[in-house]
Amino acid sequence: MMTTQGVPGPSLGSQGVSPVAAGPEGTQAAAGPAAIATRGLTKRYGKTSALTDCTITVPEGRISALIGPNGAGKTTLLRLLACLARPTAGQATVNGSTPRQDPAFLASIGFLAQEIPLYRRLTAEDHIRAGAHLNPRWDAESVRERLTALKIPLDRAVGKLSGGQRAQVALALTLAKRPRLLLLDEPVAALDPLARRNFLGLLADAAAMGDLTVVLSSHLVADLERVCDHLVMLASSRVQLCGDIEDLLAEHKVLVGPRKDITAIERSHQVIQITRTPKQTTLMVRLNGPVLDPAFEANDVGLEELVLAYMGQDAPPALAHMTTVGEDQ
Amino acid sequence: MTWLVWRQHRAQFYVGAALLAALAVLLVITGLQMASQYHSALVACAANHNCANLASTLFLGSHAVGFLVIMTLGAPILVGLFWGAPLVAAELETGTSNFAWTQSVTRKRWLAVKTGWMLLAAAVWGGVISALVTWWSGPNNALQLDQFKPGRFDITGIVPVAYALFGMALGIAAGAVIRRTLPAVAVTLGGFIAVRTLIALLARPHYISAITVTYKLLGNDTPPASAWQIAQGVLGPNGQAIPAPNGVAIDNVPISYLPASCAAPTPTNGGVRVAPSCSQALAHFHGFVTYQPASRFWAFQGIEAGIFLVLAAALIAVAAAVLLHRDV
Repeated sequence: MMTTQGVPGPSLGSQGVSPVAAGPEGTQAAAGPAAIATRGLTKRYGKTSALTDCTITVPEGRISALIGPNGAGKTTLLRLLACLARPTAGQATVNGSTPRQDPAFLASIGFLAQEIPLYRRLTAEDHIRAGAHLNPRWDAESVRERLTALKIPLDRAVGKLSGGQRAQVALALTLAKRPRLLLLDEPVAALDPLARRNFLGLLADAAAMGDLTVVLSSHLVADLERVCDHLVMLASSRVQLCGDIEDLLAEHKVLVGPRKDITAIERSHQVIQITRTPKQTTLMVRLNGPVLDPAFEANDVGLEELVLAYMGQDAPPALAHMTTVGEDQ
Repeated sequence: MTWLVWRQHRAQFYVGAALLAALAVLLVITGLQMASQYHSALVACAANHNCANLASTLFLGSHAVGFLVIMTLGAPILVGLFWGAPLVAAELETGTSNFAWTQSVTRKRWLAVKTGWMLLAAAVWGGVISALVTWWSGPNNALQLDQFKPGRFDITGIVPVAYALFGMALGIAAGAVIRRTLPAVAVTLGGFIAVRTLIALLARPHYISAITVTYKLLGNDTPPASAWQIAQGVLGPNGQAIPAPNGVAIDNVPISYLPASCAAPTPTNGGVRVAPSCSQALAHFHGFVTYQPASRFWAFQGIEAGIFLVLAAALIAVAAAVLLHRDV
């Protein structure tokens, strides 16, 4: 019998979690200026907390994966950063200023909502021209080129395009604004695998060329792994992880060893997940130094494994308790 | 911003313009016919010296067009329903607000430009309809002298402009607060009818103190026909209002308020003759009529328009407060 047990620990927030996490005064971290820095950002709708005490830093030029289960607060965080919602508490700094209703701030961010918001009766060309009227910087030609290359008609009402085509139009429009920070909420969900790959490649190119920072939400880790170099993980409205993916992977190990008391390991490392079979114990740990117990073998972790371990940690306590009871029998 | 407003609403604009053009053609043609009909009737009655009862013998125009003109009572709210209510609600409902409000235009400017054009459209809509109806009603007003009466007052002059602005503002505010188009349309329609009815019934008669004249029951004193008559009836010996007769009555005084001698009037060939004691009793009763004179027509138009403009401004302020200070 095998049981997997989440470790319901105290909220990790990001205190000491991210190598670049810092308050607003720390935006000039070693990794360069921060495109996004939040401190205690909280959003409540009535009694429900959509985002709780979120403190993250995303350095400029990164492509950051915003990962979390449905309802974790990903959309709320993006909407707060785009000035579409106002925080209940805490503060955010985007490109050095607080998100606000100001033409210069709005010009610096590109936001694409999950539901692909376009005027269904207007054509792609209408949207391109609207964008030209509404933005100081607007690269209309890039949109036309891109959509023509994708064989998407510019003169058809976007309501008559397929879901994937509509998503491409919306993405191209968001990029045409030439923002410094691109906030994309599940942008690839409507795309087929090939279009998804092309789009992510395009994002990587755009980010490599200029001072563009991208935050990309999804729950498909495999898609993000290819292009993202930074990770923000949310679960149950709280930040679980925030940092460079490389660093995060280096900090975490899977320890495999005999079924034995793990108090010593728990004392020196942070145990994220425990999986027990009658003969073996597998631990996902965040290291605070070398593993001294020779009985345990340390293995590298993959991004998906890491993310799943943190999601598992978030499992409801009742469930965790039940698996523990099963183990005792 | 204006380009987007035009692109989003141009189809509705064409529909609105076509409706106005159709109404204009219809009213100009029938209006000219009515004017010439009235003119020749006046010439004819002057020749026959019987112009006094022209109002009761002459009917101008056709019932169908007359009905259509009365129906313009509902025209001011149409722009509020079709343009006002969806203005914010449809953007929120379909998520296009996420596109509109993340371009480099602040929400404040977005609302100001959109609302500005919408209010202008509403004013033009109400103004053109009212101008047409007011001109068309000229001969009828001269004949029937009814421009101050409820129903007519509401479709001529400047009040239709104020109603259309109010309807538009109500639609925009309802859409911003409710955030869904259909409920916002329903609230706009219900709210418009309720406010218009309440103000017309409860407030309008009292904008300026009405004139009340009393007269001896056996005499008569009616206000000028062009006045808006608000109430009339009978006052008892102590000045108390006597309810309208519901049964046998003499000179509109119910028999129960009168001495027994009134109960058996003597029929004569011209009607009835009452006993002298009954006549004495009747002499203590007075007729009264309460009215607003026709000279106050424009003052009333101005006051009513002012009320609806203030309401419209308040509703726009509500929409702005909701949109700028709440999450979207």
